[in-house]
Amino acid sequence: MLYPSQAVAKPYFIAAIALFAVQVLFGLIIGIQYVMINIPFITFATAKLIHTNLLIIWLLFGFMGAAYYIIPEESEQELYNPKLAVQLFWIFLALTIITTLGYLLLPYATFAKITGNQFFPTMGREYLEQPTIIKLGLFAVLCGFSYNIAMTVLHGRKTMINLLLLVGIVGSTIVFVFAFYNSSNLVLAKYYRWWLLHFWLEGTWELIMEAILAYVIFKITGDRAIVEKWLYIIVAVTLTTTVLGIGHHYYWIGVPEYWQWVGTIFSVFELLPFFFMVLFVFNVVNCTKCQYSNNAVKLWALSTPIMAFLGAGVLGFLHTLAPVNYYSHGTQITSAHGHLAFYSTYVMIVLTMISYAMPILRDHKVINDGIAQKFEILAFWLMTVAMSLMALFIAIAGIMQVYVQRATDLALPFIEIQNSMVVMFWLREIGGVVFFIGVIIYITNFFMVKKEYGTR
Amino acid sequence: MEQDNVFINQGISEIPDRKMAIIAESLYLLNLLILPGLAFLALVWLFIKYDNASTRISGCHLRQTFSASIWVGLLLVLVTWVMLSTMNHDSPYTWMIVISYFVICHSVLVLLGIMGLAKALAGKKFHYPIIGPSS
Repeated sequence: MLYPSQAVAKPYFIAAIALFAVQVLFGLIIGIQYVMINIPFITFATAKLIHTNLLIIWLLFGFMGAAYYIIPEESEQELYNPKLAVQLFWIFLALTIITTLGYLLLPYATFAKITGNQFFPTMGREYLEQPTIIKLGLFAVLCGFSYNIAMTVLHGRKTMINLLLLVGIVGSTIVFVFAFYNSSNLVLAKYYRWWLLHFWLEGTWELIMEAILAYVIFKITGDRAIVEKWLYIIVAVTLTTTVLGIGHHYYWIGVPEYWQWVGTIFSVFELLPFFFMVLFVFNVVNCTKCQYSNNAVKLWALSTPIMAFLGAGVLGFLHTLAPVNYYSHGTQITSAHGHLAFYSTYVMIVLTMISYAMPILRDHKVINDGIAQKFEILAFWLMTVAMSLMALFIAIAGIMQVYVQRATDLALPFIEIQNSMVVMFWLREIGGVVFFIGVIIYITNFFMVKKEYGTR
Repeated sequence: MEQDNVFINQGISEIPDRKMAIIAESLYLLNLLILPGLAFLALVWLFIKYDNASTRISGCHLRQTFSASIWVGLLLVLVTWVMLSTMNHDSPYTWMIVISYFVICHSVLVLLGIMGLAKALAGKKFHYPIIGPSS
């Protein structure tokens, strides 16, 4: 670790991994509820709420940890205010725990009432279910985080990597303002909800992901010039395709019909950043003498763009064209894309960063043939193969659903359709269990490192 | 790069070796992504015009992409056509199998093309697993 203030990343990474495990656990509960509806103590709606909300939150913890680790090194100076970073961590964690407990222990309407939603209603929208007061807290955390990162970058060396990370972070904070806009006009409310969610997922978060990937690839290969050259191309393509590409979310919400053309054309090109990312990673590795010893990090870094190309790119393209989306909208195909896209684009990049940074933060030597490395690589394969198969099973269920529910004049009743997909739901649950085992092995690997190598 | 200075004297003259490899891989990808058929015809033309038996990287990439493109046609067009013509169109299982097969197969072939293009950009040879010739 070059700068002591990079150590503030550690609690963020630990929280991210812990919340990741909880999120997957709730995913298993939902999976079981798809096939065995009566599970005591928790409803499907609550479990899904926690599953999706924790996903966003733990990824934010991961991005924050990554930024706090990368920025001092790239800016060649200590973090502007390490104390603020630690304080924000505890506030963010407290907000997360309060919200999750609120979802678990209280009926949603009661939770809304006691948090004063009636005075400034922003709750009740998918992914934005958090109470208004929690959203305000989250916004304050994001503002403090952006300020800390911006001041560090502005006072230090500017590189393509830290500037891109800064743009992604500040952009995410600005876009979050739309969480507070909840129009009584349903079309407007939907429009700006999609603005927030997908300017994050297909815009600012993608920039953060590209910056982290570029940083890790630079660390693996040691060639900054070639990494930055590729990064310019990828960022340019991302920005030019994203802004109008998110039009694929507007097809059926009540906006003018031209969005079907705009969304269709531009979202096809949204494949390009992932195409270039795969090309970038393999070109850089081919062009340089890669002698980096941490094989697990190499595996994560090289696989991330490939999986992102498949999950976000190919599975997204599969149902992004308006005439196809007319049939597939809101079916299990969307769920398949959502699972693999989130895993491949954001989960994998955060795990890549954690795998790279944690041994350094814990002051361990990196040895490429240790048992811990083998366990981490095993965890990688279990998680990646399980998620790929889960996405495949859900996509197959989705194709079936489209056929019997949408592409027919004699649609079956909803429950019959669900019954026709039950085999796929069971297979998905088995995939989920294997994925969870992968997560446990990934976590176990951190404890093994200490035993095996000791500290320097 | 050294290969850049090696110019091809047979067939398409004055094209650097590495550039020819990049063109071959790009045509393979274009055939898969946006110009099916047309890009393949261009690749066939290059394959015939240029000394494809060359041991240089351009010869390697031309042989590999030409062979892989023929496999692309067989796997994506012929196999899909056979499945569609032999299976019951009124069954959802037909579409489950055909769409899943096509998407997985197409994605893997595109990824192999990207790997090949990355190698060509780096001035290195590339062998398509299973669908590329061994030499």
